[in-house]
Amino acid sequence: MAQPLVKKDDDRDDEADYSPFMGIEKGAVLQEARVFNDPQLDARRCSQVITKLLYLLNQGETFTKVEATEVFFSVTKLFQSRDLGLRRMVYLIIKELSPSADEVIIVTSSLMKDMNSKTDMYRANAIRVLCRITDGTLLTQIERYLKQAIVDKNPVVASAALVSGIHLLQTNPEIVKRWSNEVQEAVQSRAALVQFHALALLHQIRQNDRLAVSKLVTSLTRGSVRSPLAQCLLIRYTSQVIRESGNTTQSGDRPFYDFLESCLRHKSEMVIFEAAKAITDLNGVTSRELTPAITVLQLFLSSSKPVLRFAAVRTLNKVAMTHPMAVTNCNIDMESLISDQNRSIATLAITTLLKTGNESSVDRLMKQITNFMSDIADEFKIVVVEAIRSLCLKFPLKYRSLMNFLSNILREEGGFDYKKAIVDSIVILIRDIPDAKESGLLHLCEFIEDCEFTYLSTQILHFLGIEGPKTVDPSKYIRYIYNRVHLENATVRASAVSTLAKFGASVDGLKPRIFVLLRRCLFDSDDEVRDRATLYLNTLGGDIEIDNDVSDFLFGSLDIPLVNLETSLKKYEPSDKAFDINLVPREVKSQPLAEKKAPGKKPTGLGAPPSGPPSTVDSYERQLLSIPEFANFGKLFKSSAPVELTEAETEYAVNVVKHIFDTHVVFQYTCTNTIPEQLLEDVIVIVDASEAEEFSQVISKPLRSLPYDSPGQTFVAFEKPEGLPTTGKFSNILKFIVKEVDPTSGEAEDDGVEDEYQLEDLEVVAADYILKVGVSNFRNAWESMDPDSERVDEYGLGQRGEGLSEAVNTVINILGMQPCEGTEAVPPNSRSHTCLLSGVFIGGVKVLVRLSFGIDSTKDVAMKLAVRSDDVNVSDAIHEIVASG
Amino acid sequence: MILAVLFANAEGNILIERFHGVPAEERLHWRSFLVKLGADNLKGVKNEELLVACHKSVYIVYTILGDVSIYVVGKDAYDELALSEVIFTITSAVKDVCGKPPTERRFLDKYGRICLCLDEIVWKGYLENTEKDRIKRLIRLKPPTEF
Repeated sequence: MAQPLVKKDDDRDDEADYSPFMGIEKGAVLQEARVFNDPQLDARRCSQVITKLLYLLNQGETFTKVEATEVFFSVTKLFQSRDLGLRRMVYLIIKELSPSADEVIIVTSSLMKDMNSKTDMYRANAIRVLCRITDGTLLTQIERYLKQAIVDKNPVVASAALVSGIHLLQTNPEIVKRWSNEVQEAVQSRAALVQFHALALLHQIRQNDRLAVSKLVTSLTRGSVRSPLAQCLLIRYTSQVIRESGNTTQSGDRPFYDFLESCLRHKSEMVIFEAAKAITDLNGVTSRELTPAITVLQLFLSSSKPVLRFAAVRTLNKVAMTHPMAVTNCNIDMESLISDQNRSIATLAITTLLKTGNESSVDRLMKQITNFMSDIADEFKIVVVEAIRSLCLKFPLKYRSLMNFLSNILREEGGFDYKKAIVDSIVILIRDIPDAKESGLLHLCEFIEDCEFTYLSTQILHFLGIEGPKTVDPSKYIRYIYNRVHLENATVRASAVSTLAKFGASVDGLKPRIFVLLRRCLFDSDDEVRDRATLYLNTLGGDIEIDNDVSDFLFGSLDIPLVNLETSLKKYEPSDKAFDINLVPREVKSQPLAEKKAPGKKPTGLGAPPSGPPSTVDSYERQLLSIPEFANFGKLFKSSAPVELTEAETEYAVNVVKHIFDTHVVFQYTCTNTIPEQLLEDVIVIVDASEAEEFSQVISKPLRSLPYDSPGQTFVAFEKPEGLPTTGKFSNILKFIVKEVDPTSGEAEDDGVEDEYQLEDLEVVAADYILKVGVSNFRNAWESMDPDSERVDEYGLGQRGEGLSEAVNTVINILGMQPCEGTEAVPPNSRSHTCLLSGVFIGGVKVLVRLSFGIDSTKDVAMKLAVRSDDVNVSDAIHEIVASG
Repeated sequence: MILAVLFANAEGNILIERFHGVPAEERLHWRSFLVKLGADNLKGVKNEELLVACHKSVYIVYTILGDVSIYVVGKDAYDELALSEVIFTITSAVKDVCGKPPTERRFLDKYGRICLCLDEIVWKGYLENTEKDRIKRLIRLKPPTEF
């Protein structure tokens, strides 16, 4: 009797919830793989074993060389089977096993046979496998078949050959480039995917031939492209052509813009988005061009698909960096995204709004963000905090509400990185916005009252020690600091003791009271805290005579980069000779060469301002004054950024920092010897100042020894007319004695040879005499200056091919002043622009500059320059600098 | 380039992973990053609802299908929309093979088939096939119907 039919219950597998691979073990599976050698192949069983092998490989299991070879050989036997399912598995496992070159030969003949098989699917798969495992020599043998396959009637075979071509192009470009006729034919294929793959390959083959790519784009934009994927590729290639052609037609239209715009009406969302993105990425895109793209992106913002919303808000976020006004229309839609379930979308929306918002909308926006912050993860919060920091630097007048926001979120729950981002932001705002200093410091004080992170507490205490004594009423911080001595762990207590002592050292009026507090710390349970208190009491109390060095060491900031100190300490071997801190190199190690070579690298993230090291000048000053020859030069006015005098990857790397004093200029040359087999001695830079007549050399300080990869410094000082922005050009030659070093013993030979090395020229320019010092409110600052000090003149800057932005940057660089209120950014295609600059001229004279630019249709740029300063002569000097620049 | 395709079970164990152009030493990092991303965000998400994230210049589109979470990572041309096309193809193929959004058991039962589908969809970092019916035929070595 026939068995009654039992309905297969689909839910059955939920009950038996064990894995079919439970207890799977490599050894056992390898044993099972012997079925591949059976004379009577069981296709089903073989497929199962292959699945197990795949599972093992996917779980990260590795086979030894012997095991892999054995399995591979057995697998090749399965070509005997005519079972289609098994054959498909065989193709896959061969690719997964990725056999070595000497094994490939075993399977080549079977695959070649399949490649010529009448069964299309054998051909397609054999192509894919062969191309995956083959090397160049075999490729020439099968090239003929591959070329045929590209134009095969069966789209699967054609696609297999085309995608193989894309991969092979990386390893064997010459061979693949020979297929371009066939690929060209395939681009016209009626099968959508074949067209997509062919287009990708053809573009890769021709990518270095601009004309060919341009022709390809021109012909395809006229014809019809079948698949949305291929259409997306075409849009990308089109924008590449537009970027490279760079010019507009006579009628002022951009070539291919109409094509991009028509794609905005395509039925596939992917194509619409790609076109919108391409338009927003156009160089110098105008508002008119942007509008249709922004409109479709705005529609996507309210799409039900998260991916579309994300794509749209991400693109708009990018547009907001260059064209904030164009995005403002989307603000309402964007605001509704603040509550989007996908927090990536919400964060992008918030940060876009922060960029597009104007000064008046800041408060409203902050209210919305406050609600949003409570339910996102820390990583998103950090992005928001960074965006708020940028916003605050853009609108310094709004510091109150933004600072309040930061202090509020500082009090809420959050991890270390998040809290650190907030503290760092507050610290930057305190440094850059003088008005924000007092409130910022108080916020930080309140934070350390209840801060669970020792690192942050000590960082803030240290910062308070530097900034607190400089405020109007330093005494109000003492309570917060002293509370730490009672309530915190030993590390924070010790840090608080140091901060208290700094207040005592800097503010005489507070000294007696600080003494009382420090004395109480003498009974602390921790020895470090007691030791510090004792040390400070003795040094501040005056019972013991201490010299300036000690007091500098205790209360000044450490002028040695910590990294260098750490390296030196690690290198120090305990011996009779004490560790000498003066031997620690003081220069900041320059970036590794690889990074130096990529100057165009843009910072990632949201463009947070570089936290410029404000203490660099201090540390330079201390370093220079520690050299007796320079001790009477007076106060250091400005140190330039290091200027490279050698190219990257040369034998000796030299950069120079120009230090400007009132009557002197000191060149600090930092030299690095990159040759392990050489030791340089008596290193000196010979400076020829014949093109700098008003400078006369007074001191040259050589560097005794320059071992491999341990930068050292040599100095040359010049006298110059007092208080004047004297300029000149200097040529430099590095002179030294070179000694061979034995690589095994590391010891240098006794005798050396004198040698020279030509360096690049160096210029002292007017900008070296102006400090970049910003003002938080330019208008107030301008109006508070004496109008009689104002000097106005007009200049013609000639034709500027790159437009206003280039002209503005040139003038900023000539003057070396600080652009204010973001006015250094010129909106693309603007016809006029005003840039506000602020700075301090040598001699400590405050200067403000208002630059008004205009450009006409022939790209001729005119500039009106208005200067106000505390000293009329300086106003005149600024005009002279611009006139001679 | 499609940098990675990853399948994980509810506990975050990897079921299948395919990396393309990702150095071996970075794979572990990606694996744990993706699994954490899923653990943080996939709770309560409907089958096949796409989630999206980006990490520097790399895009990630991920979703859940039955007991299995699926992650696709791409860069350059494979941005979030292209990846959503890829993941859509993958989910359709998996549903097709398993008959419905799979339990982990069912997924493992159909493991070999799913590996084959993946082999047809993504080939060394490039999207090769997008239609589930065609993929269904290709894994049986049958030519596509339109041919």
